[in-house]
Amino acid sequence: MTTDELEKLLTKLPVSQLHMLARGRIHRHFRLGKRRLVEALLGHVSVNRGGLESDLQALIQQSPPPSQESRPRQKPGSAPAGVGRAGNKQRAPSEAGHAEPAVPASDLSAFLDGIGVPPPQPLVPDAWQEEALGHLATTDVIVSVPTGSGKTYVAIEAAKRAIEADRTVIYTSPLKALSNTKFTELSKLFGADQVGILTGDRRDNPHAPLLIMTTEILRNLLYDAASGEIDVRLDTLGLVIMDESQYIADPERGVVWEETIIFCPAQARLLLLSASIGNPQEIAAWLTSIRPTPCHLVQHHRRSVPLRAGYLHPNGKLAPLFRSVGIPHGHGALLHPETKRLFAQYEDATLPSR
Amino acid sequence: MPPSIHPFDLVAALRHKHLTPAIVFLTSRRACDDAMQAIQRSQVTLPPQRQHAISLVLKELSTQYPSIAEHPLLQTVERYGVAAHHAGHLPSWKIAIEELMRQGYLDAVFATTTLAAGVDFPARTVVLTQSSVRKTREFTDLTISEVQQLAGRAGRRGKDFVGFAIVTPSPYIDIDVITKGLTGHPEPIDSQFVIAYPMVLNLLKAHPLDHIQGILARSFAQFQLNRRAEALEAKQDAVHKQMEPYGPRVCTDWITQWQIFDLARKQKAQRAHIRRREPPELMARWQFLTPGRVVGLPKGRGVVLRQYRSRGERCPMVTVLRPGGHVTECPAAMITHLYDRTLEVEEAREFPWCTVDSLGHLIEELSELPTRIPNLPILVQEEAEETEITLTLNDEFPCPTCPSRLPCQKDHATALRLRQELQRHTKTIQAHRTGLWHRFQERTEVLQRYGYLTSTCHLTEDGEWARLIRIDPSLLITELIRTEAFSGIEPQILAGIMASIAHDDDRPGSFPRISHGLASLLGQVRKLAQSLAPHEDPPLLRADVAALAERWVGDTSLTWIRLCQTTTMAEGDIYRLLARNLEFLSQLHTLRATHPGLADTASRAIKALRRDVLEELP
Ligand SMILES: Nc1ncnc2c1ncn2[C@@H]1O[C@H](COP(=O)(O)OP(=O)(O)OP(=O)(O)O)[C@@H](O)[C@H]1O
Ligand SMILES: [Mg+2]
Repeated sequence: MTTDELEKLLTKLPVSQLHMLARGRIHRHFRLGKRRLVEALLGHVSVNRGGLESDLQALIQQSPPPSQESRPRQKPGSAPAGVGRAGNKQRAPSEAGHAEPAVPASDLSAFLDGIGVPPPQPLVPDAWQEEALGHLATTDVIVSVPTGSGKTYVAIEAAKRAIEADRTVIYTSPLKALSNTKFTELSKLFGADQVGILTGDRRDNPHAPLLIMTTEILRNLLYDAASGEIDVRLDTLGLVIMDESQYIADPERGVVWEETIIFCPAQARLLLLSASIGNPQEIAAWLTSIRPTPCHLVQHHRRSVPLRAGYLHPNGKLAPLFRSVGIPHGHGALLHPETKRLFAQYEDATLPSR
Repeated sequence: MPPSIHPFDLVAALRHKHLTPAIVFLTSRRACDDAMQAIQRSQVTLPPQRQHAISLVLKELSTQYPSIAEHPLLQTVERYGVAAHHAGHLPSWKIAIEELMRQGYLDAVFATTTLAAGVDFPARTVVLTQSSVRKTREFTDLTISEVQQLAGRAGRRGKDFVGFAIVTPSPYIDIDVITKGLTGHPEPIDSQFVIAYPMVLNLLKAHPLDHIQGILARSFAQFQLNRRAEALEAKQDAVHKQMEPYGPRVCTDWITQWQIFDLARKQKAQRAHIRRREPPELMARWQFLTPGRVVGLPKGRGVVLRQYRSRGERCPMVTVLRPGGHVTECPAAMITHLYDRTLEVEEAREFPWCTVDSLGHLIEELSELPTRIPNLPILVQEEAEETEITLTLNDEFPCPTCPSRLPCQKDHATALRLRQELQRHTKTIQAHRTGLWHRFQERTEVLQRYGYLTSTCHLTEDGEWARLIRIDPSLLITELIRTEAFSGIEPQILAGIMASIAHDDDRPGSFPRISHGLASLLGQVRKLAQSLAPHEDPPLLRADVAALAERWVGDTSLTWIRLCQTTTMAEGDIYRLLARNLEFLSQLHTLRATHPGLADTASRAIKALRRDVLEELP
């Protein structure tokens, strides 16, 4: 294989595979962008050409042929010579060789259009917020919606309803800092005498109907309750709100979320609030399997404020990141041609000189 | 071209396109601080009304959090409308920046990605300059969930029609990671359930031992393991189907029979070519002394766990598990019988050379072996041709003349592979179903050894109080208490020790002076931690953080600013250290019923600790 052919093959690989090749060959390869990775790998040829080539062949043969829809029109003769059957099995080149799609790429003005502050409006709960609150009357609920959607509204309304029904509410968060913010916020809303906070070393108003604490503290309370020694009343507990419950996946602290859920008193409803996670159904199925009532899952992926993605060049030039104005979903999203050009220029210019 | 955009140009570009307020995620605290300096050098200040608005908010907040008023960056934030927010700052300062951001008074905040979940901190725009983050000393690519958490802060409900996630290149970026993160589906989450000593003690306090397995079964961990086990069971059924043509033949277990015959044949063929120092008889057996083989010894039986050669003479040796659970080393030459029986061993790379699960099973199986087991026929012969071998093997094996020889020969490879697959699945399913329970038992054994649990898994007197220590490393702390390492010590020494136990950050700091008493006690703690290492990961036990806590508790006239000047640690780190120390000390305080002296020392330490900025937050 000539160096040219090698380079061609390398540039056609997705970056993740380049990183696979670079592992153990190139120091701090994770710091490098695609172009620089290719350069660095070519530079490595002098050290062990055979090893690199055979790993490369293996990679190419492993990767599945591109699916029918996403396969770019292959220009005749564009497959590099001399690579045998590997030649027509490569991945779709991501940089070059694309026939531009029919829909024209968005321009910057469309991208920046509509920036501004909406006029103040009375808060009308979203359907999913109502759905969560409705089900909470009878079952546990998991809410998995994007960041900034308004999960706090559900928590506050649910707490209000529980307190009106003379039940105690516990609100847990993963961080002391967040507990503090929520304490201030909720004290304003419910009145200082209605809200208490428990931390590892302090208890303010521990007999208030709405208690804020970190998940660890609640776990400890539940253990104390199980062995019959406790100074906070759990028999009137009506609702446990667990904010940021995607922390159940935290390598060090996740277990505390599980313990808390396992030992949460049967008469209390559980409300799990979480940012978008991959498998909320599975967590709901788990809760259903261990709790007295089946758990209801409220889930959606719509952002309440639409998000756009842009690219800012070091010279201050701005361009949309994708061809579309909004962020596309799924694999094979196409970069905006302007961004593609600028980024290639960036990689060229910042390449270490050979 | 610069490797990345200058912070000042970045903020200018964002302002120009009305993309402020923005959160700019940078790779390190250092980068955030440098960016702030660059902004300061630019001398482009906010219009006076905006400066005034910011200063009003900060003034108001500083009545609740006095440390804000003294913050060195206060004026910079007021004049330039830009701030940094990272773990090196005091919580009060972070609260101030968050509040300013919520009210929309800042144009940009430089932050590290530690500002991930849970902090209420939205903006119109989020700028991403990196695609990997440092996690315990190594850089790893951002996951899809992480990219979405970061980018998701853009676009405030009620304050923006639209939000922006802007990528800007830097040496730390791989654009593909970011685009995949923005467009992809978040990763499913996996249970991270671990069984810790306090969990075991607290469970056994409240529930009888025979309920525990049922309680562990309620975990998300077991839920996920069950699902995996069910998937494997389905696979197992499919393999059973495939196995149908390979049922009993002339011999019931023809697969094993053929396997041994085949092995014997190969081994003989090989022998023809290799010369050895060991007697041929021994070498013939050596091939069969693989893990799981049941063997006879001068006294009784055993099962082989491992095969190795001794260090000096390089004699063939085996490690053998004897009935009752003894594990002994013995020269292969001592083996008197090789039985035609192997047991399943899940091998491990260190003593006892198999997993604890598997050891348990083996001991049980050994005790249940029938009194008579056939010997494994082994032929010892020096030189032989293939045909000759087959012929001589005829004396020991039925295979060479068996009518089923050809089908067996043909099917053996497939049948064996299927059978091994089945066995593998069975083992994995077993492990999935019972793994948590076994890990629980491992923990109870350690707790029994150290006297926190009785042999019947009831809490001992020590266990009763030890269950109240629910922080990591719990075993080290309870052992320190049990061995009275803390008896009669001063509050500042206690605080120093607890600080070194509590602090798990490896960011270096410097603090030379440490009292003699603390240094020697710390040495003792290190030794204990080392001796507990097989059962619990020892903490870093840094002397500098111990000295820092000692100083703060020992000298109550010391101000926060002076304390910060004595070390290179960032004040946010010092704060976290002491705040965590407070939590640890409060756990000691819960032992007042059984350890009044210690609880009293702890509460004195807590009182001394909680002053100045440590009093600002609950
Ligand atoms: N139905 C609604 N209509 C309009 N605005 C709403 C509605 N519900 C909530 N909001 C507003 O949305 C903003 C974000 O809400 P919130 O902080 O609860 O988000 P979140 O889902 O908890 O996000 P995060 O994942 O970041 O914690 C708040 O300012 C809130 O007032
Ligand atoms: Mg929230």
